[in-house]
Amino acid sequence: MTRILSKNIWTLGLAALLAVLLVITKLIQPDFGVSGLDSLGRAALPFALASLGMAVVVIAGGIDLSLASMMAVTSVTAATLMDGASDGQSVLVVLFVLLLGAAMGTVNGTLVVVSRVPDIVVTLSMLFVWQGTALLILNAPGGAAAPWLRALSVGGVTLPFVPEALTVWLPKSVVFLFVCLAVVWLPIRRSKLGLMFYAVGSDALAAFRSGVPVGRTKIAAYAVTGLFAALGGIAVTMSTGIGEPIPGPYLLAAVAAVVLGGVVLGGGRGGLIGPVLAVFILRLVRMDLTLMSVDPNVTTIVEGSIMVVVVMFGGVVAMRGRRT
Amino acid sequence: MKKLLLGTVALTLAAFGGMAEAKTYKIGISNTVQGNGWREEMVCAMKAQALASGEVSSLNIAHRNTDAAGQSEDIRNLIQAGVDAIVVNPANADGVNAAIKEATDKGIVVVAVDQAVTEPSAYILSNNQEQYAYLGASWLFKEMGGKGAVVYMRGAAGAGADNDRDKGFKKALAENPGITVASEVFTGWQQDQGKQQINDIIASGAKFDGIWTSGIDNVIVDALVESGAPLVPVVGADNAGFVGQLSTVAGLKGAAVTNPGSVGGAGVALALQILDGKAPAEKTTLVDPVVWDNTTDAGKALLKAAANPSLSPEWPVSVSIPGWTTYSQDQVIACKGPGE
Repeated sequence: MTRILSKNIWTLGLAALLAVLLVITKLIQPDFGVSGLDSLGRAALPFALASLGMAVVVIAGGIDLSLASMMAVTSVTAATLMDGASDGQSVLVVLFVLLLGAAMGTVNGTLVVVSRVPDIVVTLSMLFVWQGTALLILNAPGGAAAPWLRALSVGGVTLPFVPEALTVWLPKSVVFLFVCLAVVWLPIRRSKLGLMFYAVGSDALAAFRSGVPVGRTKIAAYAVTGLFAALGGIAVTMSTGIGEPIPGPYLLAAVAAVVLGGVVLGGGRGGLIGPVLAVFILRLVRMDLTLMSVDPNVTTIVEGSIMVVVVMFGGVVAMRGRRT
Repeated sequence: MKKLLLGTVALTLAAFGGMAEAKTYKIGISNTVQGNGWREEMVCAMKAQALASGEVSSLNIAHRNTDAAGQSEDIRNLIQAGVDAIVVNPANADGVNAAIKEATDKGIVVVAVDQAVTEPSAYILSNNQEQYAYLGASWLFKEMGGKGAVVYMRGAAGAGADNDRDKGFKKALAENPGITVASEVFTGWQQDQGKQQINDIIASGAKFDGIWTSGIDNVIVDALVESGAPLVPVVGADNAGFVGQLSTVAGLKGAAVTNPGSVGGAGVALALQILDGKAPAEKTTLVDPVVWDNTTDAGKALLKAAANPSLSPEWPVSVSIPGWTTYSQDQVIACKGPGE
């Protein structure tokens, strides 16, 4: 029990911080309730999916700066293909876009592994490549999203035979997020591949000597990142109903959530629940600052300061924990 | 005694009546371009109008660089904050419709300023962007003698205002078959980006006879002067820096088309009118632009009258819109909202 507790202390701390923030939000805005949670879930969805993608590649010892551009490519592809498509066709579009995301990730990973150029340089270059690709597909915001897809993230959950009051507070967007997380990540985490991600991330040489195919593992990690980026791009299109070729503010937000979520930037340590909680914390802070009508120019300073303080505080706690 | 008592009651009632009349509102603002002079003036005009109206108890401002998904988040946060009205400069014409619909379904008045949205429940108060481009481009093509190549420096791809301006520009282009487009770029309404782009165009050696800009103007004139390139006619907006250049830069021929950032203040005024039960008959109100050129005496007089050295160079000189805004110039420059 204590082992599980101490192993997940960071995640538990984040969950506690999120709970405190929810209470504070309720104090600032007594009307905060079902619709507030729904807004929060919908705002967090693209950020959370981006952070999941970033977390996977960081755990495997890499980084992907082209994440937001890949989201733009997948978002405009989805919106362009879904414009005027039937429901059946739009299901195929979603599957195609997910494959496209994984393919882009594979390209990133292969370039990193084969060229041996540092990942930060390769993915920075790919940031521009994918950004140009997105603009080629759609030079101005446009396209459409299938109504069933948009409905997936709107409102609270309702189940047959269960009173609505019990489930309505849980936003569909949050369920969507955790379904994505479970479907993509759980099988990997439970398999050898997941173990190899952590092994390569924590010490590539040791992993190689233990017989781990380092190159292929890295490419696989980038592919998973691309898949999450595609989910993030679809989430943007779900939210806006259109595709936007100019990448949104997801890259740095994802790096921030990964750091705040307890994933070590050097690789090999951390999980995926932490970054998700971190995204919710950062969105909730933004909401609280809007509710309190804080000067918008001060808002970003506050957001940054909270991150530094939390990470520093976490570092101190971790050091203490090691000593005892 | 009885009289005194009655008098007190009457006074109290009158006082309460007065209070009920001076109902105050909570207004939310959402804007997605930060660090651009035009947008900063827009936000300041919103604050100043809220303060000057005396009807606004508090202003919640969501003002950051973000996309349509981020603006939807901001609008939903403003709904959570319980505002009575939201004045929004939309990131694009369709992307924030869902969030706007949620607001209007809750009885919140939504006014889109500067650019249109396609959500029918929103009110729109905008500068007539199509006319803005048409007037400026027509003046420019006439100045170029109806022939030659024009550099077309647009705003942000996909922005409603940019789409509308493109229509106006293309209309003028169709009327002047002798004009060709030498180069077409999106400045994103960012000064540094626009200057980089014009420097690239100059360096490429491409020949051009005129420049049409979507409001990133004074840096373009700077680039022409610094590089020693021929001073071709330039069309810009009524930004203080460009209006100054039209009077001071020797040999520069140009025209400023009015595009008041104070339309933000007018948007707040419109929202308050609707809250007070005086909704306009039409959902869309357009403010028509005017051309001030420095090649005619009438234009020169207008430019001289408009020049305002107390403004930052990126700010539009038309800091107020008669009939809509009621604040003073000092109030908009101070940029203080209610309770600040």
